[in-house]
Amino acid sequence: MTKIISLFILEAVFCFTFFTVSYSDINLIQTTCKKTPFYDLCVLTLKSDPRSSTADVSGLARIVADSVKAKAIATLNQISALLKSVKDPTLEKALEGCIVSYNTIIQADIPVAIDAIEKNNPKFAVQSAADAGNEAQACENSFAEKPSNSPIFSGNKAVHDLSVVLQSIASLLL
Amino acid sequence: MVDTRPFLPVSSHAGSDPTGPSENRRKPMKLQLSILFVLLTVGFFAALLTSNNGSDNGFVKENEHGSLASPSSEKQLRPVSRGPAVGVSEKSNRLFAKDNENQLAYPWNNSMLSWQRTAFHFQPEKNWMNDPNGPLFYKGWYHFFYQYNPHAAVWGDIVWGHAVSKDLIHWLHLPLAMVADQWYDKNGVWTGSATILPDGKVVMLYTGSTTENVQVQNLAYPADHSDPLLINWVKYSGNPVLVPPPGILDKDFRDPTTAWLTSEGKWRITIGSKINKTGIALVYDTKDFINYELLDGILHAVPGTGMWECVDFFPVSKTEENGLDTSVNGPSVKHVVKASLDDDRHDYYSIGTYHEKNGTWIPDEPKIDVGIGLRYDYGIYYAAKTFYDQNKNRRVLWGWIGESDSEAADMQKGWASVQSIPRTILFDKKTGTHLLQWPVEEIESLRLKSYEFNQVKVQAGSVVPLDVGPATQLDIIAEFEIDNEALEKTTGSNVTFSCSSSGGTVERGALGPLGLLVLADDSLSEQTPVYFYIAKGSDGKLKTFFCNDQSRSSVASDVNKQIYGNLVPVLEGEKLSLRVLVDHSIVESFAQGGRTVITSRVYPTKAIYGAAKLFLFNNATEASVSASLRIWQMNSAFIRPYPNDKESQ
Repeated sequence: MTKIISLFILEAVFCFTFFTVSYSDINLIQTTCKKTPFYDLCVLTLKSDPRSSTADVSGLARIVADSVKAKAIATLNQISALLKSVKDPTLEKALEGCIVSYNTIIQADIPVAIDAIEKNNPKFAVQSAADAGNEAQACENSFAEKPSNSPIFSGNKAVHDLSVVLQSIASLLL
Repeated sequence: MVDTRPFLPVSSHAGSDPTGPSENRRKPMKLQLSILFVLLTVGFFAALLTSNNGSDNGFVKENEHGSLASPSSEKQLRPVSRGPAVGVSEKSNRLFAKDNENQLAYPWNNSMLSWQRTAFHFQPEKNWMNDPNGPLFYKGWYHFFYQYNPHAAVWGDIVWGHAVSKDLIHWLHLPLAMVADQWYDKNGVWTGSATILPDGKVVMLYTGSTTENVQVQNLAYPADHSDPLLINWVKYSGNPVLVPPPGILDKDFRDPTTAWLTSEGKWRITIGSKINKTGIALVYDTKDFINYELLDGILHAVPGTGMWECVDFFPVSKTEENGLDTSVNGPSVKHVVKASLDDDRHDYYSIGTYHEKNGTWIPDEPKIDVGIGLRYDYGIYYAAKTFYDQNKNRRVLWGWIGESDSEAADMQKGWASVQSIPRTILFDKKTGTHLLQWPVEEIESLRLKSYEFNQVKVQAGSVVPLDVGPATQLDIIAEFEIDNEALEKTTGSNVTFSCSSSGGTVERGALGPLGLLVLADDSLSEQTPVYFYIAKGSDGKLKTFFCNDQSRSSVASDVNKQIYGNLVPVLEGEKLSLRVLVDHSIVESFAQGGRTVITSRVYPTKAIYGAAKLFLFNNATEASVSASLRIWQMNSAFIRPYPNDKESQ
């Protein structure tokens, strides 16, 4: 009988611990994402990365930074593909400008953001993330005839919005 | 995630004897059942809570860009949004709308970018720079060290750059002073300050970021004290000399100050930090710069200000027009505490009284305490640091001026950041609440041809060109007199004004905006106004604002377009006075003798080289203004590497 009781209590404690631990890491994702302007995007991005279950806020920022880079690389590939077959000179100029923007995001903004987060100097991560968002925006703006409807609009929007999320999360580390 | 596995009741015959006395069997069952019930109830409530938190109706509309810019706050209160100020507009999501028909996304060509390099502001030949470090005067040379990335035009791989000058204006680059070659600074040779000992020797304290990313303080000193160029530096073999104390996080402990002497003959330093969101300054005493004793109390703290970076602490004379050595104290002395706030990237200062015995400091006016009151500069200006210049008996201020263009442009041009022209700092006896900043007098050695304009009348709603030849390297001193009648006749109102939330110079008031248009082209399609705006309250009292409007500074869409500025106290009998240094992509503006200062970075596409012009403007609706100016063409400072043939000293 006492054996049963202690077994029960042990099982209860075990379940409780499991429940509080998994509750709290989802909770960190939620509380962190609430402090960004794109809650759903933030939660989706974090939850789809297995590292998020054991990450602190710094780690969450790192996951978002990696995601910005991945999306930027995908968009850059799209731009390069479009450039191969482009005929319109205005469109070509816009695409070439976007190459510059995306190279900046991939080679400068994200590496600096990751470095700054790792080295505990988050203000440089905040600034770089803001710049990444601006670069994506500049790219979109350069399609003069089709604002908000460029051939790479969804890539630009994804990179922009995720950069804003990164900026918000990095701000929490200040 | 709630564990919703049901707790299955253990079968009643899991025990030993199924035929045991029913009394005995019932008690354990009751206990099990009650435990089960409690756990299920808790689980149920927890499930309720989590499902509420996880709902998607919680948050901000997807379309909202999010407030990402920090408006420069005019009020004597903390700024509202604490996002970064650089480069991001606070307007709604621009991906869905084009702001302005004339915006160009990628206008930058090499001609425009090379024009941006300054002629007489300190900057390395290429790559990234940030905080000023360890400025001092030693054996006939002014020394300047700085945070530098030797590899790229963005922050990273930080080491100490070094340059020397005889006059704080003509700089010669020297080899790197310190690199990240020890475990205790492997991840960053960060900001620090110099102390000159009574025997003339120099010690340097600086922050290192260790291989484990812990912030520690290290001691370094010149390898050869007889070398006036202080080229080589030695790091103390017993570094670090300070590690984060209990209660302070590894990442919140950096930027040690210059030391000052206590009445007990010990050296005292302060280091900024934070506890939760309260910015603080820790105090340490030392006799040898190797062993330290942390004081029980702190120098000062202000809730809600976040991390205090680059703390500076120094005395100013209430009566004399000269600087004071950092160790000076006495009845005719006030002490300034300054902090760079990590949260909003602005430098704040406050004037108060230092209590030497317990190492504390109290602000004269708590309403304008550190971090919630006055700023050194209402534009782009951060990580500032002063030093006592024993050569000319003055306190000199350095400040880091970052870029406000895109990083793509920085990468393309191969460099980022400049330093402000060094400024003298004095206590403003007339207001008693402000410091006065003014470019060091040595800058006048760059003045070439001068132009004088006397009492130029600028009617309400007009622009007057000033023919001064090329207008990209200028020193301008101006005085404005607003016609008295307009000042008196204008009806006051309750409407509050602030530079940053105003419409810039297109927003016309009765008594402003009026001032100068710098880096403007003939058609004014690009222009950078530096101006005054006088607001009259319903009580008849006049308030003067000093602003710098970047909204039309360039047709490029990827540069900062904010309006910077703040109140400037204008006392009875004072005319409106202005000094502006224009040096390509940097404009430094000083109102009322340096009571309010604004530095901005400007990146025109057209108003460059010979096409850049200067204008007077008055966009007020009622007041006319009379302006008197002296304007000089400024020479280059020819900042370059130290000539090789002289190095064998």
